[in-house]
Amino acid sequence: MKYELVAGFETHVELSTNTKIFCSCTTAFGGEPNTHCCPVCIGLPGTLPKLNEKVVEYAIMAGLATNCEIAEIAKMDRKNYCYPDLPKAYQISQYDKPLCEHGYIQLSNGRRIRILRIHIEEDAGKLIHNHGDTYVDYNRGGVPLIEIVTEPDFRSIDEAKEYVERLQQIMRYIGVSDCRMQEGSMRCDVNISVRPEGSEKLGTRTEIKNMNSITNIAKAMEYEYERQCDLIESGGAVVQETLRYDDATGTTSSMRSKEDAHDYRYFREPDLVTINVPRERVREIEARLPELPEQKYQRYTEEYEIPEKDAALLTKYRSISEYFDKAIEGLKSPKTASNFIIGQIFRRLETEADKEAFDVKTTAEQLNEMCKLLEGGKLKNNLAKKTLEQMLDTGKPVTEFISESDMAGLDDATLTEYCQNAINAMPAAVADYKNGKEKALMAVLGNVMKQSRGRADAGAVTKKLKELIG
Amino acid sequence: MVTREDIENIALLSKLFVDEKDLDSLTEEMQKIVSFADTINNVEVKTGEFDNINNLSNAFRADEVKPSLPSTEILKNAPEQAEDHFLVRKRA
Repeated sequence: MKYELVAGFETHVELSTNTKIFCSCTTAFGGEPNTHCCPVCIGLPGTLPKLNEKVVEYAIMAGLATNCEIAEIAKMDRKNYCYPDLPKAYQISQYDKPLCEHGYIQLSNGRRIRILRIHIEEDAGKLIHNHGDTYVDYNRGGVPLIEIVTEPDFRSIDEAKEYVERLQQIMRYIGVSDCRMQEGSMRCDVNISVRPEGSEKLGTRTEIKNMNSITNIAKAMEYEYERQCDLIESGGAVVQETLRYDDATGTTSSMRSKEDAHDYRYFREPDLVTINVPRERVREIEARLPELPEQKYQRYTEEYEIPEKDAALLTKYRSISEYFDKAIEGLKSPKTASNFIIGQIFRRLETEADKEAFDVKTTAEQLNEMCKLLEGGKLKNNLAKKTLEQMLDTGKPVTEFISESDMAGLDDATLTEYCQNAINAMPAAVADYKNGKEKALMAVLGNVMKQSRGRADAGAVTKKLKELIG
Repeated sequence: MVTREDIENIALLSKLFVDEKDLDSLTEEMQKIVSFADTINNVEVKTGEFDNINNLSNAFRADEVKPSLPSTEILKNAPEQAEDHFLVRKRA
């Protein structure tokens, strides 16, 4: 039998605020153990949390960017569980009144992944296990998180991969998180089940935790899908449980059984007051949102007629799209700039990190200047590539690499002279052309271009040659 | 109704050891506490959602970093510590 995969995501994203969610300690990554802590974030009795305004703002931005409704009234709740990573033995989170609900992210295959909710909460401390003992560092404890929960809308691993990439891209565009999976500032848990193809009923699901890259998410899902299919095929049943993905073996293993399934005993956090979000506040935040990757993609493909593949590359990181937007100001054909960026500039940016940083010597304004000269015919097409290479090597403007005579092109007398030389030098090609072989003229044109060291305009040369050959 | 199983479950979640012989009396006591809370639940509220007594909302803090405490202060009350970390021993 064929089985369909059904999956949903819970993604934790660390917000890039300066301070923690309920106290003024820094959120800086790393640091000596237990040096980014205060009585509030280590949960000493008698301390009072106070909500960071920026956390609410960032969560609303994330909600708006993923098409969510923003709640008018939200509140914080306590989620109780006893584990050393939580000094208070509860996490302050949101239960039944999250800040954002009912959004979606659109995938390239046209399907929408519905977002059930986005809520704010505090991160837990870091545990280091050593020979059965546990060392606890609370630097990360209290760092603000948003948890983005989807409906079980995924039907393939490719959809899951694209979703994580899109989410990362959106959060980085709006600047609320750097979403670095390796550093743990973005963490995904996947709920996964299988069902016979055509069936509407959801199968029993398992939850996979502990995946720190998109590659691992895909591998873990693949493994878990196969495992569940095999289990059912061999007459067994899937047990609802939490699994840990082990990168080294490429397998999943049980983290805790259902027996100690958590009863979090959620109740309202009495130390924090209601969050009220006036509609004008939402509008004000919405107005400040930058253009999102999806919108940029549309503008590039529809208005500028840039191929979809290229548009995807240009919008992958905000840094690239901003560079591109500046480089095309006032250009007749933005595609010219796009080709230079994707062709020559990308070749110099080897890794994804390089592309994201987009640290190139030639500024967007300099590329813009060059493209304008090209469009105006002052810089010849065949010289453009070489000139851009020189610009990229040195960071100098285009005017450094083209002489005034280049800028002016060739005068008519010189052009005539070059053309006559070529005709004299290539009698066979000229004869062929005269006998109706249009293409033979290309060879003669090549000769002229060579004489002019590329400065001649191909159109002007062709016209002149035809004139002279008669 | 509070049952003996509820008490066992609460004890488990709270990491408390409860003696078998105390279960009945604890169940009875817990039932009384829950009944007391039910009194509040039974109050009819007419004016929408009851929030907090001062009707406060949006008590926010600006996102400005203030110095944290040195780890020596943070670890002062730790039952055990090692290498600037809180140390949680494996239970025997």
